[in-house]
Amino acid sequence: MARKILIIDDEDDIREVAALSLESVAGWEVMVASSGAQGLVRAAEYQPDAILLDVMMPGMDGPTTFRELRKNPATSRIPVLLLTAKVQSTDQRRFADLGVEAVLFKPFDPLTLSTQISGVLGWH
Amino acid sequence: MESTTKTAQTDLVAALDKLWTRFLPDIRERVAVVESAVESLRKGLLSTGQREAAASAAHKLAGVLGTFNLDRGTVLARELELIFSGADSLDPASADRLDAMAAELRSVIESRK
Repeated sequence: MARKILIIDDEDDIREVAALSLESVAGWEVMVASSGAQGLVRAAEYQPDAILLDVMMPGMDGPTTFRELRKNPATSRIPVLLLTAKVQSTDQRRFADLGVEAVLFKPFDPLTLSTQISGVLGWH
Repeated sequence: MESTTKTAQTDLVAALDKLWTRFLPDIRERVAVVESAVESLRKGLLSTGQREAAASAAHKLAGVLGTFNLDRGTVLARELELIFSGADSLDPASADRLDAMAAELRSVIESRK
């Protein structure tokens, strides 16, 4: 059964590469959102199996979007993986403390992104 | 099964090349933002807004270049991001070093086939 993934990222290039990667390598169904606000709506409608959420976005950033997802009963149980280009250890600890399933780092390898996600979420 | 996987990988690489071509103007623009900040620094005219814009552009470059197999680009962009987003004030005398980093960054980007 094909997994359903929602990618929330304001950067067109990252969003499209991630979508392409998950669709072509893993055969997953992908929906995208270019802002936190749009992501909240799409997550509730689409009910993905997991959400790949960028940290640094204008307006509603990743951590705020994550907290809003958790507040809504329609999205509160969807696993969220943060995606960030921040590599400093203080940032990493701060993100991990939010309660997300995992923190993945940019740049990612398009050939193995789906394997990384599957591994974290125990999808085999 | 293995040949299916290899085909999928080949298709992905070809599709990534197309995306690279499509997004190259945006990527070049981000480098230009960094270069412009370095030039302003050299003249002693670097504003807070320009510094933040350079940090943001470098951050985006750091996140995307390695995805297109340009790991050296990510290293350079990450270093530039840390410099522009740091708390320390920037000395115009450091412009030469930043200029060399930005030039190498542009060269890495332009070298991708």
